Amino acid sequence: MIKTIAKPQERKVTGCGECRSTCQSACKTSCTVGNQSCERVTREQKIDEQK
Amino acid sequence: MIHVFTYQGENYIFDSGSGSLHLCDDRTAAYLKGEPVALTDEELADIRALKEQGLLYAPETKARPVKSHEVKALCLHICHDCNLRCKYCFADEGAYHAAREMMSFETAKAAIDFLLEKSGKRKVLEVDFFGGEPLMNLDVVKKTVYYAKGEAAKRGKRFLFTTTTNALLLDDETIRFFNEEMENVVLSLDGRKEVNDAVRQTVNGKGSFDAVIEKIKKFVRARGDKHYYVRGTFTAKNLDFSKDVLFLADQGFDSLSVEPVVTDIPDLEIREEHLPVIEREYDLLCDEYIRREKEGKGFNFFHFNVDLEGGPCLEKRVSACGAGNEYFSVVPSGDIYPCHQFAGDPKWKMGSVFGGEIDPVLRAQFAENCLFTRKKCEGCFAKFICSGGCSANNYHFKGDVNEPYEITCAMMKKRIECALRVLAARKTKEI
Repeated sequence: MIKTIAKPQERKVTGCGECRSTCQSACKTSCTVGNQSCERVTREQKIDEQK
Repeated sequence: MIHVFTYQGENYIFDSGSGSLHLCDDRTAAYLKGEPVALTDEELADIRALKEQGLLYAPETKARPVKSHEVKALCLHICHDCNLRCKYCFADEGAYHAAREMMSFETAKAAIDFLLEKSGKRKVLEVDFFGGEPLMNLDVVKKTVYYAKGEAAKRGKRFLFTTTTNALLLDDETIRFFNEEMENVVLSLDGRKEVNDAVRQTVNGKGSFDAVIEKIKKFVRARGDKHYYVRGTFTAKNLDFSKDVLFLADQGFDSLSVEPVVTDIPDLEIREEHLPVIEREYDLLCDEYIRREKEGKGFNFFHFNVDLEGGPCLEKRVSACGAGNEYFSVVPSGDIYPCHQFAGDPKWKMGSVFGGEIDPVLRAQFAENCLFTRKKCEGCFAKFICSGGCSANNYHFKGDVNEPYEITCAMMKKRIECALRVLAARKTKEI
């Protein structure tokens, strides 16, 4: 038995470079991209929510 | 590739190609780990279906890194001096192996102009005020913020500011300024008083805990819902660091980051023989993290976040951190380095905010850095989450920005497993 917990959403935006610098986070020593969000998707979701 | 791991009777499958996470029974887990288990037709059909959906053994796309020559962020070393003498300080207790000095407003202004000029069409720019201790040069921090905001407005851009501080000089007026102007504030504190005071000491050799704890509490109370991190460091002296994270959470701090020290000082450095203890600590912390969240007393631990569904695109995930290409640090003289951890090493000086070009050879080298130039990452399940790790860390420990340091990798992989466990707990409504 296998149960899928999470899978990536299909992306319309890729490689636009709008995301924040990886190092602009808390640690300044072991920064990772994986715990960041896509800035553009987040922004577009906010705009959709406001409509 | 897939990574199968088991914790407290739960089997997790992370598929790095698709970035998907699954739970499975013991038999399937054993089979996927390559153990001699004869699965039923139904069990095999489950695996086949996920493969067909591209969620198991998904091919790892060779996405190209984001190619940009726009500069998006600067770390401003606003003060190369510090009012603490922390024993593990990578910045030579604030001086960065040079004279103790403050950044002048003229230099900070030139750095802002440099960033605006080099940022191309990018609208959102980031500046973090770093040290040493930035509050020792607060007047320049303030002037720089107001100057940057004014100049950005003229160009239809905006800045996000961050300050990293040890909180020793934090007062009501600074808290007000931070809450008005700083997108994020990082406050350094290592946890329990005895742990903190063993390494974070004043110039006179006294522990700093008592001098900062109430100030940080006051700041956090006034911060509201704006971003901040109370950020600690653990060393070989406190391998039981989960106690420090929980201690900080018990002080009412709900946004935490506690990082392994980056040092080769013998009694502080993290060594290979420490890894089993550290991995157990992350597990203990993860258990308690999930338990507290379940009880409505959760907090945010920086490294236990992983966004599989809305995270960065694949191009970003293979692009490494951007240091030396889209992110630079600027020291008080105006000299430019790839990032704060390279600052002060003449080998890595890339130019100056007072004119001239950024060293094209070094910049091209950093721009090329990506997951695919880090050959050792090829067979790692975590590569699309960590994107090859920290260039500076690689360089300091291995002498090559493209060669990952095994101890850092081991800790990173453990934290990612914990983050996946937290995600699974949330998704299955366990919390």
